[in-house]
Amino acid sequence: MSDGIRPASPETRARLKALAEQPLPLEEWRRRLAIPLSPEEMEHTQALVQWFRRRYPTAGDRLAYVRRAYKRWTGQSG
Amino acid sequence: MNAIRDILSTVEGTEFDERGFFQRIAASGARALLIGRRALVALGLPLLTADYDFWVHPEDTENFNAAVSVLGLVASHTSDEARKRGRYVLENDEHVDVLAARTVSTPDGLVVAFDDLWSRRQTLHLDPETPVTLPSLADLILTKRFAQRPKDLEDIRLLLTLLREEPKS
Repeated sequence: MSDGIRPASPETRARLKALAEQPLPLEEWRRRLAIPLSPEEMEHTQALVQWFRRRYPTAGDRLAYVRRAYKRWTGQSG
Repeated sequence: MNAIRDILSTVEGTEFDERGFFQRIAASGARALLIGRRALVALGLPLLTADYDFWVHPEDTENFNAAVSVLGLVASHTSDEARKRGRYVLENDEHVDVLAARTVSTPDGLVVAFDDLWSRRQTLHLDPETPVTLPSLADLILTKRFAQRPKDLEDIRLLLTLLREEPKS
C-alpha cells in the first residue's frame, strides 16, 4: 500500500534548487530589505533562538543537531 | 580484519568528523571565516543547510586545502585558479563552498573587504578544543547581501533580530 507521496526526481530537485538560487531583481531586493522587522517577527525569532540555545547549549551541539536533522530530512524526502 | 573494516567504511561512507574539520582549519593558521547558514546555526538560529561556506584569504587557500585534505576533501581548482576565479569548492561526501577573493561587491554596489571582516571577527567554541572563526553579526549580514536571493533576505531578518539583542559595547 502506498501513501501516494513520491520523492522528487533529481531533475525536479535541480529545477527547484536553480529557482531558489536565482537572485531577486535589485529593485525587489531593495524593497524587501526596507521592510522593517515587526515586534511579532522579532518575538518569534527570539523564542526560536532561546529554545535552540537552551536545548543545544554549545555551537558544537547546534551544528551536530543540524547535521542529524538534515540527514533525517533528506532521508524522508528521498 | 582491519582490511575488511577499511573496505566496509569505503563502501558505506564514513561519518564526517566535524570537530576534526574545524580543529584542522584552526590549526592551519589560514585566515578562514565561516559564513553562510552554518555560521547562523552556530550562533543559535535553527536552520537547515547542506553545505559549509567559508571566506578564506586568497593567500591562505593552500593551507586551508591542505588542512582539510586529511578528511578526503578535494579542491575543484588549483589555488592559482581559485584566486583568479574568486571561488572554488572542496568536496567528498561533504560540500564546502570557498570564497577566495580579497573583496566582494554586492549587486547594489557595496564593496566588502575580507581584511575588514577579519579585523572584526569573533570566535566561538564548538567545545573547549574546537574554535571556529566567524564574521561579526553586522558583517555576516553584509555577506548575506552578496547573492541577493530570497533566502538571504530571510537570513538577514533573523540576523537583525540577533543584532538587536547584542549588548552594545
